[in-house]
Amino acid sequence: MDDDQQESMLPIANVGRIMKQILPQTAKISKEAKQTMQECSTEFISFVTAEASDKCHKENRKTVNGDDICWALSTLGFDNYAEAIVRYLYKYREAERHKANQNKANSSQDKP
Amino acid sequence: MRQAGIYSGVVSGGRSGPHLLPLARIKKIMKKSGDDVKMVSGEAPIVFSKACELFIEELTQRSWTVAMQRKKKTLHKEDVASAVLATDILDFLVNLVSDSNNPLDLAPVERETLVS
Repeated sequence: MDDDQQESMLPIANVGRIMKQILPQTAKISKEAKQTMQECSTEFISFVTAEASDKCHKENRKTVNGDDICWALSTLGFDNYAEAIVRYLYKYREAERHKANQNKANSSQDKP
Repeated sequence: MRQAGIYSGVVSGGRSGPHLLPLARIKKIMKKSGDDVKMVSGEAPIVFSKACELFIEELTQRSWTVAMQRKKKTLHKEDVASAVLATDILDFLVNLVSDSNNPLDLAPVERETLVS
């Protein structure tokens, strides 16, 4: 697999790490299995994005957002993910809000 | 100083720090998925980093179930292919996991055993 192809997919090291986390300690993973997972998860992104993008297009919106992805996941049969992600997104937005408030607080302080 | 607690719970396993998958790469893949996809919100790659993690975990678990049924200790490409074939929502991957060298000539796996 050449560099260009690698660049257009999720990095195999990251994919392998996630696979390893979920398997028993003694399990081994062949390189080909990792490559296949890399291709499948990349295709997953394309597949779900296309569905989300289609919806945006029909609703005359230009930007695909987090909620569109959640909707697409549900529509395509990945409802169990959608729930976890709604919670994840909520926590992310909270964290961002917190960060923004921290930055505001820090910038208004006089630091020696 | 990064405050643990709020953000660390967001990443799986309560681990603080960056996401498990690179956001820039995810965004790149999203943009390549179609001509329509011109703009992507900042949140979308974040959502996908979690969704992909769940996807990889699920497919890996299903593949491992197949490997165990075949009494193997190493996860092989064929196990992933079988798991894909046995799962309805993964139909979009059928062409990806089968190739001319190995047409869908895989040992049959009981569908019931893989349905959660």
